Amino acid sequence: MTAHRTKPILKLGSIALAFVVVLATLALANRSSNPPSDPPGRQGADLGAPPRNTEEQVKSLQRQIRADPSDARGYAALGDAYLQRTRETGDFAFYTRAERSFREAFRRDPDSAQAIVGEATLALARHDFREGLRQGERALALEPETVRPYAAIVDGQVELGRYRGAARSLQEMVDRRPNLASYSRISYFRELNGDVPGAIEAMRLAVSAGGGTSENVAFVQTLLGDLQLDAGRVSRARRAYGEALTSEPAHLPARAGLARIDVARGNLESAARRLRQVSERLPLPIYLTPLAEIEIVRGNRAQANRDLELVRAQRRLLEAAGTRTDVDLALFEADHGDPRRAVRFARAVFASAPSVRSSDALGWALTRAGNPREGLRHARQALRLGSVDPSFHYHAGMAAKALGQRGTAARELRRTLSLNPSFSPLHARRARRSLADLP
Amino acid sequence: MAALFAVVVPAAAAHPLGNFTVNHLSTVRISDDQVEVRYVLDEAEIPTVENQRASREELLRRKGEEIAAGLVLTVDGRPADLEPDGAPRLSFPAGQAGLNTTRLEVDLRATVEDPKSVELRDGTFAGRIGLKSIVIEAGDGTAVRTTTPADDPTDGLRQYPQDILKSPLNRTDASFRVREGDGTLVAPRSEGGEVSTTRDSSGEGFASVFEDAAAGKGVLLFLLLAALGWGALHALSPGHGKAMVAAYLAGTRGTAKHAVALGVIVTVTHTIGVFALGFVALSLQQFILPEDIYPWLTLVSGLLVVVIGASVLRSRMRWARDRRKGVALAAAAGHSHGHDHSHHHEHEHEHEHSHEHSHGGQHHHHHHMPDELTWRGVLSMGAAAGLIPCPSALVVLLAAVSQNQLTLGLLLIVAFSVGLAGTLTALGLGVVYAKRLMPRLQFGGRIAAALPAVSAVIIVVAGLALTARAVPGVV
Repeated sequence: MTAHRTKPILKLGSIALAFVVVLATLALANRSSNPPSDPPGRQGADLGAPPRNTEEQVKSLQRQIRADPSDARGYAALGDAYLQRTRETGDFAFYTRAERSFREAFRRDPDSAQAIVGEATLALARHDFREGLRQGERALALEPETVRPYAAIVDGQVELGRYRGAARSLQEMVDRRPNLASYSRISYFRELNGDVPGAIEAMRLAVSAGGGTSENVAFVQTLLGDLQLDAGRVSRARRAYGEALTSEPAHLPARAGLARIDVARGNLESAARRLRQVSERLPLPIYLTPLAEIEIVRGNRAQANRDLELVRAQRRLLEAAGTRTDVDLALFEADHGDPRRAVRFARAVFASAPSVRSSDALGWALTRAGNPREGLRHARQALRLGSVDPSFHYHAGMAAKALGQRGTAARELRRTLSLNPSFSPLHARRARRSLADLP
Repeated sequence: MAALFAVVVPAAAAHPLGNFTVNHLSTVRISDDQVEVRYVLDEAEIPTVENQRASREELLRRKGEEIAAGLVLTVDGRPADLEPDGAPRLSFPAGQAGLNTTRLEVDLRATVEDPKSVELRDGTFAGRIGLKSIVIEAGDGTAVRTTTPADDPTDGLRQYPQDILKSPLNRTDASFRVREGDGTLVAPRSEGGEVSTTRDSSGEGFASVFEDAAAGKGVLLFLLLAALGWGALHALSPGHGKAMVAAYLAGTRGTAKHAVALGVIVTVTHTIGVFALGFVALSLQQFILPEDIYPWLTLVSGLLVVVIGASVLRSRMRWARDRRKGVALAAAAGHSHGHDHSHHHEHEHEHEHSHEHSHGGQHHHHHHMPDELTWRGVLSMGAAAGLIPCPSALVVLLAAVSQNQLTLGLLLIVAFSVGLAGTLTALGLGVVYAKRLMPRLQFGGRIAAALPAVSAVIIVVAGLALTARAVPGVV
């Protein structure tokens, strides 16, 4: 009787107990097998193939870190993902997030090579190229077999004007991993050296090597378009921008590329419309300045002034924040602002990063500020690698003209217009007029 | 993939952060006669340079048009007109580098009549970078349920949270399910954060235990104990069948054994209930919201309790009728139920004896009584008490699934259920022993005599109350 009576309780009790035991076993098994596996972000950082959707990647890394807050690699990967978010959105707020993520990674592992590369990338983004290079080299010393530090090293060397070192690093980088990151850098290096066909070939390889996010691919397709346009192949450029926009419909650099196509085809109205759409989304000087120049050529001086005013506001913000100026800002001041301020900016830029681009900006600032002798000297320095950038030649030609060096001026201005007659609607027009003006 | 080149990073890479941003927040308040939307716009320095070129009137007109075109309110499937409610407030707070920022607050309202579903889509300033958010506030005469958060971490766009483990707010869509009510709200506390469908502190305590466990903080054993404790505490909050269980054990000849069995059944039922509901919530989430299942579960539970109460009442009444008829045949029936005599039961009988004797000396009638407390009854009662999953347990389950910590979550939920059942069992044991003591008190005998009938009535009433509460949610 007693046995019979207690049976249901025993039954229930044993079912419940079995239930708990099974769960506990599962939980333990789960704990021991789960954490060491590679989270997606980590693999992505090293294989150059993160998940397509960076937003999802950020979320999964955040979950991973919440599950294990001591995970230095998780924080480093989160920082990388935030860097990528900046590229995708143009929202610099993500830089702060990246910076804080790397800091958290360092608190957990002071020698995290991944976080050091992240810091290097941030330094480069701040245009602190020396720091970027230094951090890149430190990361490489810690993990000599990896390839990621090379991206920072190459970028630092190129911007600091250390071209021979950059060539060696690039070779090592592409030997270790021939992918989008290495080929696109080779392309830029060749372009700086005046080898546009070689640059196009390398950028094609970068596109087909793929890897990275769809934003990365769209970005190198846009760069390929820019190169094709510089080589005068308008329809090929159009196709490259179109492909970028197929993979990333909102990709602003590709939309700005379409505006450049319009300029090449003489359709300034469409170019202005496109650039206005782009700069309404992201009012960056790289979009606003060409837009203002197009409006000047179209005779809309008032509209141009409004656009330039936005760039000036950004210059004031940069100065107030005490941040480094850069080549683009120096050129903006030389063309549309105060040439003396341009010289000050350009000297600072050149002192910290003596690249050919810095030489060009300093030369142009000096020429515009009434010192074409110094200006031409720096313009020649800018052309020392054999660059075929039309604006470099334009700046040299204008300096020579101001100096009364008729032959040099005519040669450089002709070269400018033959390289790309529509490199800038405003400056191409000035180049033509100056050429016609020559005594 | 890090940056490709330093040079292609935009020129303003070193920009003080957020100077391009256009941030907007809509705070929604749904009442039975109107939907109010407070739209706050905070534009950073660069967009403000453009804004300040226009006159105040021109700027207000332009922003008004952008908001009117972009902010779409849909009530019960039809677009509802959002009309300005009072004058917009426009100011230019000082920003960095001697530049200003723009702050615009617009109150909008739409007249509605007992809305059932409300949606808001914020398409203003599409494509511009910046924070976009929608939050919900409790209204008047409504009960609103939504996945839109109720708390605004930005304090009306006056501060911007920088937690790197939370993504910046980017909500442009919100939908709300509305019923008649008295200004209640069921919403998560924060965007993308742990959903808290309950404002009950023990529920949040349990969720925090899971967060600790998932974060690897603390020893598993202690976390399980904590979950158990929260479950025990949670059972003390209203609506966990304490009255029913107590009344049931009091009204029937419940013993300590029954009380324990009831606890085990509650644990198992509650755990299974949470898993089942979690499964439904995850696999059928496009079709069914977990909250929609609650009224049905409440209904089933309520009806079950009514049936139990009714059967207790019926057998009690039959017993009373039989006794009134003076039928003494009970002895035979009693014998047929002889197998019910366990050691424990004998113990019980002594008390019953004393009470029966004092009453009328019908010595054997109590042998009918054990019929009232059948195992089926205990099972039903336990199931009824455990059937309705605690929202906090469901929250933990869903969090566990989303964080890939399913087994950990399940383990904690079992611990929570055990704690929940523990309280009910303790209560049951208390009732069982109290009842035994009662006849020794002076008036205890009379109360004890009335107790079974009273408790049966209490069970029926509690069941009916539960059923009644479920009905508005079901129809």
